Amino acid sequence: MTEAAPDWSLQVRDLVKDFKEVRANDGISLTVEPGEVYGLLGPNGAGKTTLVKQVIGLLAPDAGAITLGPHDLVADPDAARQLCSYLPQAQMPIASFRSREAIDITGMIRGGDRATVVRRRNELIEALDIGEWRDTMGAKLSGGVRRLVGFAMVTACPGRVVVLDEPTNDVDPARRRLLWQEVRRLGDAGIAVLLVTHNVMEAEKAVDRLAVIDRGRLLAEGTPSSLKAEDRGRLRLQVMLTPRVATPDLPPFVEGHTRVGHNLMTVVAETEAAHAIGWAQELIGLGLAEEYALGATTLEDVYIRLTGDVEAVGRDPEGREAAG
Amino acid sequence: MTAPAPPASRLRSGLGYWWHSYRMMLRWEVTSLRMVLAITVIVQILTGAGFVLALSLFFGQVPPRSALFVSTGVLVVTLITIGLVLGPQLVAMQKAEKTYDFLWSLPVPRTTAALAWVTTNLILGLPGMGVALGVAVMRYDLDLHVTWAIVPAVLLTVFTGTMVGYALAHSLGNPMLIAAITQMLIFVIIGFSPINFPADHLPGWLAAAHRWLPLAPMADTVRAGLTQGVVADVARSYLVLGAWGLASVGVSAAVLGKRG
Repeated sequence: MTEAAPDWSLQVRDLVKDFKEVRANDGISLTVEPGEVYGLLGPNGAGKTTLVKQVIGLLAPDAGAITLGPHDLVADPDAARQLCSYLPQAQMPIASFRSREAIDITGMIRGGDRATVVRRRNELIEALDIGEWRDTMGAKLSGGVRRLVGFAMVTACPGRVVVLDEPTNDVDPARRRLLWQEVRRLGDAGIAVLLVTHNVMEAEKAVDRLAVIDRGRLLAEGTPSSLKAEDRGRLRLQVMLTPRVATPDLPPFVEGHTRVGHNLMTVVAETEAAHAIGWAQELIGLGLAEEYALGATTLEDVYIRLTGDVEAVGRDPEGREAAG
Repeated sequence: MTAPAPPASRLRSGLGYWWHSYRMMLRWEVTSLRMVLAITVIVQILTGAGFVLALSLFFGQVPPRSALFVSTGVLVVTLITIGLVLGPQLVAMQKAEKTYDFLWSLPVPRTTAALAWVTTNLILGLPGMGVALGVAVMRYDLDLHVTWAIVPAVLLTVFTGTMVGYALAHSLGNPMLIAAITQMLIFVIIGFSPINFPADHLPGWLAAAHRWLPLAPMADTVRAGLTQGVVADVARSYLVLGAWGLASVGVSAAVLGKRG
């Protein structure tokens, strides 16, 4: 006898969570399918961590529903903890664990049998290129390696949902790529990955779909391309102003602008590209700017338009300046 | 090539799940304390034995009854300080370092996490208790009368001491407040509770309060397992101590079950 396979999508419906006077989540609804890498983007304090803490059963919502397959995760937080793995934003408490021990114990706590966990631990250590620190105590690990060990801990025996809160913080660029490959493989194994980040450039490359959250509300949801669709036909002209120069008068074809430090980000129509280059060259000629770049609009532009969060701007694609 | 096994669809439950979780959490706790384990045990041994010896330095000639009280009382102090003081401070640290959420997101029954911590306290406290008792017997030539009743007395004392600390740590949100309260507790345990001296040395109101607080019953039950004719009405002590143990479990369950 075979039962119909349950639909293991994670469904969040009309979720409301209040902390005293503050509404941290204000009617959020979203669905994450098995195998999908789903990004939650938003500035600090947007309500992302509050949302995932309700998914994993650490907080109870004031209203709304969270279900995973046949399970009601609000009514049954024990099921939530068994079915969801969680990598928090803070570092793991593994100062007195050797890396491999931390991965093994967590994998077995999560229900893996010893042989499977050890095999998977060895695979992850290899895949994340952290073999050098296999027997090193957590207290002696750098922040980035400790982060990768944390990732291996929660995915040695992953649940149906894996929640990763800023997984690449402190991780070096080369190992970031390895980490994203492993995240993709979780998806390939049918796991729903919920990725919390405020690093937009990184999210754009790593996620299948994403939601932009600000002040507890879901502002937009879709694939990175669908979210950028509204900006089609526009280009981004980035001008590095000379230090201590005031923002110059903007010509009429500039449709929008943000300035962070010396970095002036403007949006122009594709048809105005030639004028835009001319203007930028003129600024350099006058000594007001040092260089410029013209390119396609990115998810970052969409994100800033939606949230007004300019902190996310100006990070390089590896996010080395990302806030901790 | 790495590939995680397909995720499990069935929830784990039952005794096998409980026992596996308990063993794993005990391993987690003991490994977590690995760097301080040896030093904690040594400190416990030295404070226990030191307390016993210091008494004769203070008073020169120690009356046998006082020697008996201190020597049996100090065992209780060694057994409960970790659960009642170090435990809440560790939780305060987890809250301050924000590692608390990860630990509470682990898929284990809450009872296994609590009992693993009680077991850890027993492991940390027993060597100190043994050495302090040995030193006391040698130094004061105590007339001990050890019975099997010492086993439930030690177990219940460690359990209740640890669970009171556990309830305290999880009920209070502020790590600084937790640290302040536990510091004060040490002071009360050593100086103002009838553990190392008889209750009639205290002012009447404080002695009356201690009839309903867990500290004096801890000392009474342990002392009753080691002596004869010193402790009266040990059954009442077991009841009070048991009630505190149950109440702490109830408070912990309520706090941990509330989920913000």
